[in-house]
Amino acid sequence: MIQVIGLHKALGDENVLCGIDLVVPEGGTLVVLGRSGSGKSVLLKHLVGLFQPDAGRVLVNGEDISGLKERQLGPIRKRVGILFQSGALFDSMSVGENLAFPLRESGMLDPELIQERVAEALGMVDLAGEEDKMPENLSGGMRKRVGLARTLVSRPACILYDEPTTGLDPIATDSINRLIRRLQKRLKSTSVVVTHDMKTAFHTADRIAFLHEGRIYFEGTVEELRASEDPILVNFIEGRSGESD
Amino acid sequence: MFHVIFHAFGGIILRLLRYVGQLAFLAMETFESIRVAPLRWRLLLNQVAEIGFRSQLVVVVTGAFTGAVFTAQTYFQFHRLGMDSAVGAVVAVSMFRELGPVLTALMLSGRVGASIAAEIGTMKVTEQIEALRALGVHPIDYLIVPRVLALLISTPLLVAECIGLGIGAGYLVATKVLGVSRAYYMTNMLSFTTGRDIKMALIKGMAFAALIGFIACEEGLKTANGAAGVGRAPTQAVVIASLVILISNFFLSFFLNIFFPAGSY
Ligand SMILES: Nc1ncnc2c1ncn2[C@@H]1O[C@H](COP(=O)(O)OP(=O)(O)OP(=O)(O)O)[C@@H](O)[C@H]1O
Ligand SMILES: [Mg+2]
Repeated sequence: MIQVIGLHKALGDENVLCGIDLVVPEGGTLVVLGRSGSGKSVLLKHLVGLFQPDAGRVLVNGEDISGLKERQLGPIRKRVGILFQSGALFDSMSVGENLAFPLRESGMLDPELIQERVAEALGMVDLAGEEDKMPENLSGGMRKRVGLARTLVSRPACILYDEPTTGLDPIATDSINRLIRRLQKRLKSTSVVVTHDMKTAFHTADRIAFLHEGRIYFEGTVEELRASEDPILVNFIEGRSGESD
Repeated sequence: MFHVIFHAFGGIILRLLRYVGQLAFLAMETFESIRVAPLRWRLLLNQVAEIGFRSQLVVVVTGAFTGAVFTAQTYFQFHRLGMDSAVGAVVAVSMFRELGPVLTALMLSGRVGASIAAEIGTMKVTEQIEALRALGVHPIDYLIVPRVLALLISTPLLVAECIGLGIGAGYLVATKVLGVSRAYYMTNMLSFTTGRDIKMALIKGMAFAALIGFIACEEGLKTANGAAGVGRAPTQAVVIASLVILISNFFLSFFLNIFFPAGSY
């Protein structure tokens, strides 16, 4: 379970998050929507302590992680996987080594077992057999999927996805959406999906939160969002800028 | 007028103090990591190969040619005074106490400092450092400790290599080219060089290694602003490290001379 209570964060001279309250129940999936620059990635990074809140608290499985030291965060981070928006692959390592890294770090030593798990994770993102490629030789969408595989390979209890499907073709998008669904069902993982892709949102969400001007502007189920007549939400869902030609 | 100068000067001093504070903080975190976290041997060995082994060519060439030319210039002056045989002693003591450590450190800050800052800076702006942290790996353990330790291990050896080559090249120039008597050259050189000179060289080497390591890592870690930032990090690292080496060398010489006085007694 993930809880965010009264989270405030300023970066530079900009108040990015001003009082966020969220709950993601055990095994549930929260989709966070919001326009580019609304602070979705910053919010997500708070959930693994990559940012420390200026005010407020973040609780992961009941444990307050705000104010923990880097070394104390280590064990918690091994249970929470985060997919970075950029993929954030280690560019000095091959795809296979990127995926083996989290396994080795959590103490898995048997090379055969590691190889097996790496192949399995690559299979899940439709990249079977690409172990030996270097990240620089991958397309943007492939990097994203390798990043996802690296997040999944250690089977974390909580998974945070930062725009898992942006930059992917429609077919890959659909297969990732289904993968996220499958993981929810099979592993009962607690997930937060940041996206501005409505298909991904509707496909994966138990609940949806809409981030706007540093606050949670809306929080509810998919049906509630669809039924809403609030112009800001409607424009976002239907992709209208409100400008005329 | 006075006010303006005072203000500008104050600003520089404050920035300087802040920078020293940042380096001290990084150094503290590094020692903390060495104390509590298991050492990553494979990374350390890789870095020793990268930093120590592959820097040899630069250091060897620098040492040999500096020793050769320094010997020649000293000879040209001393010859007029009829002190040919003292050349070896001057060259050796200078190589040990100043030239060896300082030149090695300057070459290393160019070759190693720049690449450390660029590598860590790139990892910073491409979120790779955040990715490390997110996987529960402390970036200090994984990136900084292996590099700083590799520098601390390699630099004294490289300094020794630089000095050896410098003195060797000087010897060849003096005896083969300039016709100084071999026996006198050696005797004087050996009687004027002491264990204290060697200790001074090694201590300076270690001190410079730490400075290069922490400055380069600090510049890498604080890289921001994408490609432009990555371009600036190595330049900053080299400029700052070189200046700090030259300035701190002056003070180190005076300080260390208290414990390891020059001359033969
Ligand atoms: N490390 C940082 N330092 C300073 N400001 C930052 C940093 N990271 C993000 N910001 C600022 O915080 C705001 C929110 O950024 P964030 O990356 O969370 O947006 P986002 O909602 O994820 O957008 P996108 O959909 O484009 O990814 C932006 O204005 C950005 O400039
Ligand atoms: Mg983002």
